[in-house]
Amino acid sequence: MDKKHYILTSLTLGLIGAASALLVGGANLLTSERIKENEVKKINDGIATIFGKESKVEKAESKEDAKLSKEYKYTNTIYTVVKNGEDSYSGYAIRTLGSNMYGKISLIIGYEESSKAFLGLTIVTNEQTYASTLVENYINPLNNDDIDVEDVKCGATYGAKLVRDMVLEAKEVALELWGK
Amino acid sequence: MTTKKNFLKGIIEENPLLVSILGTCPALATTKTIEAAIGMGLLFTIVLICSSVLVSLLRKLISEEIRTPAYILIIATFVTIVKMLTNAFIPDLYSTLGVFISLIVVNCIVLGRAEAYASKHGVFDSLIDALGMGLGYTLAIVGIAFFRELLGTGGLSIGKIFTFIPEAKLQIIPKGYEISVFQNPAGAFIVFAIILAVITFIKNRKEEYKKAQDKLKKAQAKAALSKEGEAK
Repeated sequence: MDKKHYILTSLTLGLIGAASALLVGGANLLTSERIKENEVKKINDGIATIFGKESKVEKAESKEDAKLSKEYKYTNTIYTVVKNGEDSYSGYAIRTLGSNMYGKISLIIGYEESSKAFLGLTIVTNEQTYASTLVENYINPLNNDDIDVEDVKCGATYGAKLVRDMVLEAKEVALELWGK
Repeated sequence: MTTKKNFLKGIIEENPLLVSILGTCPALATTKTIEAAIGMGLLFTIVLICSSVLVSLLRKLISEEIRTPAYILIIATFVTIVKMLTNAFIPDLYSTLGVFISLIVVNCIVLGRAEAYASKHGVFDSLIDALGMGLGYTLAIVGIAFFRELLGTGGLSIGKIFTFIPEAKLQIIPKGYEISVFQNPAGAFIVFAIILAVITFIKNRKEEYKKAQDKLKKAQAKAALSKEGEAK
């Protein structure tokens, strides 16, 4: 094969790559704002699902010191939630964003100050597959302080393990806020 | 091959899911509800059409050595665009399908059609082929979803994922009589296996009937020949 053929072949692949990058860049320009808006809406909907429709976020504080484990990366955002018409806050919503080599998952765990109890968990972003029994395995045991971390219950996939660790991570943050 | 035959082959005789048994992973994972299956089928068809048309357009430019990376690059581009658009404009569908939108990149039907058909045929033929294959795949997964949703939840619902449609649910099986296993992965396997068994049964019956007809024709021709011989 001659040199010209190699150059032409490389050039073709390079051009296809460049055209692909342009197309993806264009699509990103078109959609990024809307995706961000949707993300905010999803978080608000998630908080409303946990705390009720009348609740609103008063303060959002991101924990910059993202915790890095061997396999996963977590970032936590703590939302102080208040109910309309009430002066005192009703609780915190902890959003944990976790990612491993297969993609991102983010979830919100809410807990109520007065009862000092976990109220619920919702998934905001899911780029992986995980155990479908996640909610029943985690929401109920959260208050009993006996989260079952066995693979057989939470699933042995990377996604399921990530969710399990994120739930435990969010719980740790919540307990810190409680001052335990 | 006529345009009509080219279009119909993907739906019936060469259905990618029910005949070639390709693309089974999303077919089992995204068929909990009819809406999710329609969404998956739609996104899959868009990616298949766009990639087939582009591969066909560039078929003379892409040399043998770079065929696979070039096709994967083209498919990945369209999947990324479709993923972004879904996330922006149909977020509920994006949340429901999750990772399975990204997994269209490695769906062997898309790469298979690019390699086996679009790289050897013109743009129009490739478009029709992709349309037929996409529709065939969509109909197959919607069929699976129909039985899973009906048996697993006792009814059929719309408007939960495509929120621009008013939400409605038709409860067919009385509450308490639904079989929840059909909403689980095991249920998907059961429904898929039953559909495949029915298709194989029909196919085998057709073949047996055809064989019997051929045998009969041969016997009749033989009888006619021997009669002629006797007459002579």
